[in-house]
Formats: sequence, C-alpha cells, structure tokens
Amino acid sequence: MIFLSISAPSGSRLLRSGFLLPAILVAIVAILVVAPLLRILFTTLTPEGIAAWKAVLVSPLSTNLWWRPLLNTMILGFSVASGCLLIGGFLAWLVVLTDVPGRRFLGLMASLPYMIPSFAAALAWGTLFRNSRLGGSAGFFETSGLAIPDWLAWGLIPTAIVLIAHYYSLAYTIIAAALSSVGADLVEAGQMAGAKRPRIFFGIILPVVTPALIAAASLTFAGAVANFAAPALLGLPVRMQTLSTRLFGMIETGQNERGFVLALLLIAVSALFLWLSDRIVSGRKAFITVTGKGGRTKRFPLGAWRWPLFAVAVVIGLLTTVLPVLVLAASSLAPQSGALFSNWTLHFWIGEGGGEMAQGQAGIFRNPVLIDAIWNTIRLGLVVAFTTMLLGLALAYTIVQRRGSLLATVLSQLAFLPLLVPSIAFAAAYIALFGAPIGPLPSLYGTFALLVIAASAHNLPFAVQSGRSVLGQISADIEESARLTGAGLIRRLFAIIFPLVIRGLFAGAILVFVKMVRDLSLVVLLFTATSPVLSMVAYRYAAEGFMQFANAITLVILVVCLAASFVAHSLQNRVQKWKAQ
Amino acid sequence: MNALATGTADAIKIRSLVKRFGAFTAVKDVNISVPAGSFLVLVGPSGCGKSTLLRMLAGLESPSEGEIAFVGQTVSSGAGGVIADAGRRNAGLVFQSYALWPHMTVAGNIAWPLKVAKWPRDKREQRVREVLSLLGIDMLAERYPAEISGGQQQRVAIARTIAPQPSILLFDEPLSNLDAKLRIEMRSELMRIHRATGATSVYVTHDQVEAMTMATHVAVLNNGRVEQFGKPIDLLRNPQTTFVATFLGTPPANLIPVHRVGDGLVFGDLVLAPASLAAGRDEAQLLYRAEDVSVGAVAGVPTLMARFAEAAPIAGRTMVTAMIGDLRITAMADSYFTATPGETIPLSFIRTPDAVFAATGERIHQ
Repeated sequence: MIFLSISAPSGSRLLRSGFLLPAILVAIVAILVVAPLLRILFTTLTPEGIAAWKAVLVSPLSTNLWWRPLLNTMILGFSVASGCLLIGGFLAWLVVLTDVPGRRFLGLMASLPYMIPSFAAALAWGTLFRNSRLGGSAGFFETSGLAIPDWLAWGLIPTAIVLIAHYYSLAYTIIAAALSSVGADLVEAGQMAGAKRPRIFFGIILPVVTPALIAAASLTFAGAVANFAAPALLGLPVRMQTLSTRLFGMIETGQNERGFVLALLLIAVSALFLWLSDRIVSGRKAFITVTGKGGRTKRFPLGAWRWPLFAVAVVIGLLTTVLPVLVLAASSLAPQSGALFSNWTLHFWIGEGGGEMAQGQAGIFRNPVLIDAIWNTIRLGLVVAFTTMLLGLALAYTIVQRRGSLLATVLSQLAFLPLLVPSIAFAAAYIALFGAPIGPLPSLYGTFALLVIAASAHNLPFAVQSGRSVLGQISADIEESARLTGAGLIRRLFAIIFPLVIRGLFAGAILVFVKMVRDLSLVVLLFTATSPVLSMVAYRYAAEGFMQFANAITLVILVVCLAASFVAHSLQNRVQKWKAQ
Repeated sequence: MNALATGTADAIKIRSLVKRFGAFTAVKDVNISVPAGSFLVLVGPSGCGKSTLLRMLAGLESPSEGEIAFVGQTVSSGAGGVIADAGRRNAGLVFQSYALWPHMTVAGNIAWPLKVAKWPRDKREQRVREVLSLLGIDMLAERYPAEISGGQQQRVAIARTIAPQPSILLFDEPLSNLDAKLRIEMRSELMRIHRATGATSVYVTHDQVEAMTMATHVAVLNNGRVEQFGKPIDLLRNPQTTFVATFLGTPPANLIPVHRVGDGLVFGDLVLAPASLAAGRDEAQLLYRAEDVSVGAVAGVPTLMARFAEAAPIAGRTMVTAMIGDLRITAMADSYFTATPGETIPLSFIRTPDAVFAATGERIHQ
C-alpha cells in the first residue's frame, strides 16, 4: 500500500524512508514509554528493590507505607467518581435534555473548572477553611469568628470536595456528549410506545449512555487516584497520605526503591480500574447509536422547575469557577491571610523585599526565580505542545496508513500505555531511567530536556488521538483529487492538507500547552532549582505557608491558561474562515 | 378508540389544521379525511410540511389551529393541544432513521412497547415471534441493531411498530435510506403488511413513484398547503394545478407557456392550440405528456425545432430531452434513438394538450 501511495520519482530512497519513519517511531515510543516502565520494574527486582517490596507490602511499616495510603486513595477515588457522576450527570442532563434557560451559558460554565488547575481550588479551600490547629494563620472563616472543625479544614473530605469541583467538568463533558447523541427519534419512539417520562429515562436514555457513564466514572476515578496537588496541600499537614503523596515523600527523602515500588503499585491500581471499565463497555454492549437525521435532541419541559434548577446549576458553576478565583485574588492582596478583604496591598505582587511583610520577601514580579519560572513554564508548554503534536501526527499517520498490520497495532497499544500510568508514577519511572548517566550520556535528572521528554511521553495518548482526528479531516478523496491535478507533495501539503488540519492541530497544541502549564504531579518529581516551573514554585510557597505568594502565582497560571485558550479561539476563527461559527 | 366501534366515522379526519413555528407557518389550513383501511400518502418536495403534518398525527407536535380526529375522537386540536398523547392514540410511527434502541436486541426492541402496554409475558413472546416471522427476520432476534444491515433495521422498525397492533400506521419516509432495489422490494412488503394488519396507513414521501404505486389516497403538499387531494389516478389524469401536473407522473409532463395571437395560442411563432382553450385569457400554459410529443416531423400537427440534450431508453421506447431556449421538453421516440447533444431535432405535438392552466398555475376548465 505504501508503495502505491508514494508517487514521487526516486523510488529506492522513498522505499527506504517508507520503512524509516515507522522504525524511528517504534524506537522513539520504546524509549519514551517502554524503557522507563521496564527500568522501574527491573530496579525493584534488584536486592534493594526486593527489600523495598517487602518493606512496603509485608512489614510493620506496610500499614503506613501501603495499606493506609491505599485505603485513602480508594476512598478518594470512589467518592470523587460518584460525586463527579452526580454533579456532571445532573448538569449534562439539565443542559442537553431539558428546556432550562441559558443552556449555552450553563454548558460553558460546566466545562470551565477543568481549565483551572486542581491546586487552585485546593489553595482557595485552604484560604477559606484552614483552621489554627496546625499553627500558622487561620483561614477566612475562622478569622471571621466561625469555628471550622478539623474534618472540614483538612484531610479526606476537603480533598474529595476539591477534586470533585475540579473533575466534575470532565464527567460533564463526556456525559453531555453521550446524551446529545441520543437522538430525538429514540425518545419519540418510546413516546409512541406509550412510555411515560421516567420510563423513557430509565428504559432508553440511561442504558444508551451507560458506556459514557462508566467511562466518566473510570476517568475521574483515575484522575483522583493520580492527583497529587489536592491531597498534598490539604492532606499532608494532617499526615493523610495517598499513594501519590507517599510516592512523592519516598523519592524526596531519597528512598527511591520504596518510591518505585509504590509507583508500580499505583500504576497497577489505576490500570486495573481503567481496564475493568473498558471490559464492561467493550464487546457487543458497546453499542453505537444508529443515528439518523441531523442529531436533533429531545428537550423535556421542566415547567415550574426551570428557574430553580437553573439557579442550582449557576451556583455550582460559581462555587467551582468564579469563587476560587476571587478568593485567590483577594488573598493575594491581603496581608493577613485570614482577613481577605482588609488592608489590601500589592506587596505580594510587586512589593520590594526587606520590609516587615512576608518575612522580607519581595513580590512575585520582583522575584528573579519567579520571572525565570514564568518563562520556563511557557517555554515548557510551547516545546511540549510542539513535540507532542508532531509526534502524535507522525504516529497517527503511520497507524492509519498501516491499519491492520502488526506494526500499527503495536504502535497504537504502546502509545496508549501512558494513559494507564498516573503522571507522578510516570515521573518516578523517568527518574529510575534517567536519574543516573546511561553509558556516555550524562544524567538528565533536573534538566529541562527531561521535563520535555517525560511530558511528551505522558501526553502521547492524547497526541495520537488528536492526530487521528486531525488526519480524519482529510479524506483520501480530497488528497487524491489534489494529486490528480498534478500538484506535488509539497504543494499539496501547503495548499490542501495544512489548511484543513491547522485548526485541529491548534486545538490539540493549546490543550497540551494548558495541561503542561497547570500540571503539578508530573513536574513535582522532575523539577529542580535549575528548571523551576510556576506550578512547582506555587506549591513550594504553599508548603512553606506563604499562601499569598502561592495564590498570586496560581492566578498567573490561570491567566496564562485563559490567554492561551483565548488566543486559540481567535486564531481558529481567523485561519478557517469557511467554517461557520 | 376501537376502529370497529364507530363504523361510519372516518379513520382519520384532519380539519383546518395549521402549524406555526414562530413566524413561520409550516402547515396551512389542511383538510383531509380518509376511511378505515386506506393508504394515505403525503407527498411533496422537502420542506413542504409533510413531516410536520405526520408528527402532528403521531401526537409529537401540537397543532396551532384546527383539529385531528381518529375514528370520530378528537386527538389533537389547536385549542386543546395534544389531547390524547402519542402513546394513547393507538397509532404507530416508523421513523426515517428507524430509531431502534441501540441497547436492546431486535426481540427486545419489538417487545418493549408491549411491555410498556403491560402485555402478559406469554402473549408478548408469542406476538414478537409472530411479527418477526411476518417480516421474515426470525433469525435476527438476538442481534443488536448495530449488528444488522440497513434493510434489516428497516424491517425491525416496522415489526416494532406493528407489534402492538395499532389501528393507524404512520410512516416517515421509511424507504429513503435504502438502495434502489431494496426500496422496490420493501414497497411491496409494506403494502403486504398494510393489507395484513388492516390498519389505516399514512405515509410521507418525496418520491412521487412511491405515492402513485402505494396510495389509495394522495395529498400533494407544497409550501404547507394541500395542492390537491384524491385518488392517485385522478390526480394524474386531472391535475388541478401546474405543481401537481409537473410533480406527478413518469416521465415528467411538459408545460408550454403560450400567449394568444388572433384566435390561436402561440409558442414562439408556432400556433399550438385554438384560443378558446384559454377561456379568454391572454396568457396560458399547456400541459403535454411526454407521450404526446413525438420526435421527428409529423404531417398536419405543430412541429418545432429543439436542441437535443439527452436520451434514455424506457420500455422499448426512448425518452428524449431537448431544449428550446431555457425550456426543457421531454418527448418520446419510438424504438432506440440518439443524437449529438446540441443537434437540432424536430418535435411534433401529436395530440391536443391534456390540460390548460392559467399563467398563475390554476387549471382552466373548459
């Protein structure tokens, strides 16, 4: 097939390149994905590794190292998954299937929280609910005279709430997409059969979207299990450990083998649940809706409930998007972290150091480390977005071109492997592989290059997926009709292919950029003083109790993310004018 | 609401029905009634309001004005909205998209409406088997909709609709997603099922051939209005508007615009018919069937020259399309005929016009 599809003259050279690209890709994927995972596995099979396995699983320490963190992780995973299903499902139902007012607005609000880093919500929670039990300044509520019990200030419950507030929008997106694929015809066929609304909902709509519900549950579960920021900020102060914070703690204190063992166990837990959910929804039950006329959806009248339900949805949206941002903004201006609204000052932003405030630290825009971190972060985001999309496109092209061949199967399976690996465990694997010099190559630990490589590898599944959807924009016919006019490869590339894929590429690249800018769990292990990034600087400040600085930096991250989305949006409209908005 | 209970009432009676969507009027003052057992076809170009009319019959949309009565019982009206809702009017709808529930097997799809109607299990299972074999899809019972072909999905959709034995069957362009050969097969199949169930059927299509072959009654719709309602053969023989005249019939009939010169009706310089046909009007349109126009000069009848466009053999003769200016004329040639596109060929009007219409489109009766 490849011989026919390449029609340029110098056959032998292209024949070789026809095999060269796949060979390079296999090598890249092997180094990026397989090598770190194998390395981390083999490291734990050395005598020290075996000892670590024993210490973690069967020793007096194992309650603290493994069982308790596992229990906490599972509780978090299940409560976050069910909370996200409830809230995301409710909003999706409201927006897609009812005549609630302001549906577009509600849909936009529900998709926003995912753009905000999860540590923003965690920091905002701390700013409001922190109590004085652990010393340090109390939060807004306690300062205002409201006693905050420990369970509401620290530990599992706030962590779960913060994670639900972050991940429900992922569940919303998945469920809403599934619900809008339930055509009006399916519902009306039920009405014609005489079924009442509850019967139609439970007999038709719910079963049809069940695969999406399971997917949403498993993805939010995996997200919660892998999350580092929220349990670290809200749980660590009261020694609530999850697998990811335990793993971080082990590696940070130099107990690498134990950390690697925990990383492998974390991968196993996360992968097990994703695999199980995939089992449930695959096979004959993975029904595709047999769609007809242009995806009309049936909207049920809510009657008297229209406005009350609208209000509920708006409150959910405000609490999870606007409120955290406002709290962070107010806190970054307030000298007393409990008194959010008094004596506002710009000291934490642009103040000079050496004074009474903040133990003499200068404002973030006068702090050379932070200026460095901003550029580093943007550089990291841009470079990773570029490498990821390039790699994704090349992989998707090879996989599509050689569909059905062993090579394509292997490539696509390997490229999707990182999906099963929580990012902090992935970072641990990278430390295992690149922490020490390999042959003549120097140790990459702490370098910018390692961050880029690890991040690109971690984003591979997304990259391949968006590469495939981008390539889906060009049907074989379009390409062939251009070839029949006699246009050469380069000409076709710039005149036909590039204009068609640019929008998809932009969208994918911006998403990767945003993911990188707000990521903490991948960089938290790979970061060093020589390659600071914003999220890490914010985390450090928060861990040391400088809440205002942490909050200010988080706002900077938010602004960068929002600006990127805005740029993406306006660029898209500019480059593809023929697409109606 | 039993079809047998009220012997004399029409199975379906639509009175002064209007449907507005905001400022747009989709259905304008429709009046149709058909007796029990009829096969009513609503035909018209896309956007003519035929699907909206059907959805009102199904109870999925409420009328803005007028009323719909099934066997003497008002089921929807402009004043009362949907009085008997979709499930309670003893009607079944076959969707254009089939609307099979993807999470249920074929048997499950057919059984679900019966479950909703609280049929006992044994009666239900028996009925499912019955309709499966009526449609010839027994072996598909345990498959999911995504696992069967388009034609089979179509059969399942029909089976599901007839299973609860509705007295009215509604079809929304059910054959439009099938290939040409399957469409002809399913056409006969649908008529067989219509006869077997004894229900009154309403069938929406944009394909006039389906209308002419299946219907006992046809309503031709255009811009939300019924242009003409009656038996198919009457519509074909006696079209009341130019729209009906040109929409129905294969091959399409010709409409020739003429004006009066002296006591003749003239097209170009050619006198086609006596002026009396236009009943005093200066402008008129003459309807000639394709078989009334012959290729080649014939002595004693009006003949004109046209530019040959295309030829298609049909049943031993050839349908020839030729152009005079912008006017497209369909004529018949005996046996096989062809020419070079653009070549000038003579066309003869071998019979008098079949009907005469005013320039505004309505029929001029003699």
